[in-house]
Amino acid sequence: MAGLTAFSYRKGFSIVHSLDARFKLLFLVIIGASGLKASPAGLLLLFGLVLSGLIHAGIRLRDLFKELRFFFCFLLFVVAIRAFSADGTGLIEVYGISLSAGGLKEGLLVCLRLLLIALSGLLFVATTRMLEIKAAIEWILKPFPFVSGSRISTMTGLMMRFIPVILEQAKETSDAQKARCIENRRNPLYRMIKFAIPLLGRTFDNAGRIAIAMEARCYSDIRTGYKLSSKKNDWMVLFIVISVCTAIVAYL
Amino acid sequence: MGLSNMNIIEIDKLSHRFSNGFLGLDSIDLSVKKGEFVVIAGRNGSGKTTLLRHLNALLLPTSGTVRIGGVSVQDDPARARRIVGMVFQDSDSQIVCETVREDVAFGPENLCLERDEIEKRISEALNVTGLSGLADAGPHILSGGEKRRLAIAGVLAMMPEVLVFDEPFSNLDYPGTRDVLRQITGLHGAGRTIIVSTHDLEKIISHAGRLLIMEEGKIARDGIPEKIISGVETFGVREPYFSRMGLERASWPG
Repeated sequence: MAGLTAFSYRKGFSIVHSLDARFKLLFLVIIGASGLKASPAGLLLLFGLVLSGLIHAGIRLRDLFKELRFFFCFLLFVVAIRAFSADGTGLIEVYGISLSAGGLKEGLLVCLRLLLIALSGLLFVATTRMLEIKAAIEWILKPFPFVSGSRISTMTGLMMRFIPVILEQAKETSDAQKARCIENRRNPLYRMIKFAIPLLGRTFDNAGRIAIAMEARCYSDIRTGYKLSSKKNDWMVLFIVISVCTAIVAYL
Repeated sequence: MGLSNMNIIEIDKLSHRFSNGFLGLDSIDLSVKKGEFVVIAGRNGSGKTTLLRHLNALLLPTSGTVRIGGVSVQDDPARARRIVGMVFQDSDSQIVCETVREDVAFGPENLCLERDEIEKRISEALNVTGLSGLADAGPHILSGGEKRRLAIAGVLAMMPEVLVFDEPFSNLDYPGTRDVLRQITGLHGAGRTIIVSTHDLEKIISHAGRLLIMEEGKIARDGIPEKIISGVETFGVREPYFSRMGLERASWPG
């Protein structure tokens, strides 16, 4: 059975859960943009804001960090690249390559910014139902001519729905090939081709079946959408987020 | 003619040729009355699914006509899809939303119904299929039988008069099969017209009032099950145990 990914909705009754999806998207943009401008102290404050949101939403940080372990490996890689490639005062030297203090600081800053964006995104997805996200996307795209907000939101929903299914199929394909000793083949290109062709074939077949099933249920761009409505809480939280982010960027 | 004797489905000289030249259906004539329970059997590739897909205009005839409630599906495919609800063989491809409730809402939303009406239909469909307790669950945590019941709920929420099931028992374990069978017989009991395609008659035939056997895109046999069931193995369909043993028709779930 396909498991939940880190980026999936978790039911809850927190204030963050109750906020309008459009506002939450706006918070995501404001916090992300402030993170780019903020000093290290300001970044830590933003982290505090997002982490308290995650805790308030009932997301266990231990589970969260466990699910993000591969992302942390990526961040470590980014720090290492920055630290060893930047010019500046060398702290230590490994095999003739020096690790610079400035590079290490820069690398850590980039990582903190990436982590802030990832955690904010996770807070958004974990507290917002897919139908609200789809409705928010449709609302945002409404002013743009020649862009079908309804179609894009449906595609987003389908993508979120079928990621676990495709991952499950990828695992099945990989297991079936292991059962026939694919690991004895040394050529990675051969292994990749033998893995990708059946997986892509299955995915395209499924896509065809999904399209037929949607057609059978009268799918079209004109349909009853989910109605989003802003409340007093949304405006209050917006005021708080803007005030805090402005203060962080201006004074820290 | 009384309402119960009205033909809800009328097919005249229906042929379908695929783009690769293969003749999927060959001059089929068929009518189905309101409230009938029809089982269509035949070996793989005999044309069962192709025939079913003409009932809600997912495929259009190369020649001939298909009329649902007196109107050609070519003239009004959307109407045909409202009247004929289809439950596909692969439930995973039919479930398109993130939660059970959202997936049941998908069809009524496509019909542009008011939100109150949609909510009413969701709770009715979930009640009928016994999925109310799983309304906020994600489809990936459902068992095979529950997924099939969700696919049925998604179609029921559109309130079709005819329910078409394409191989409804494939990939299901015994409890899952019994669950789905109970749903099908319950829906027939509530007055819906049921059409089931299968190559496994054992599970369903005791509930059906009519059996069609398909072979090479044609209807090879059409009649009440008792009369034609003994010859089904000629057409690549396993004869049910009760028939081979000369016993009474027995309901599979017991």
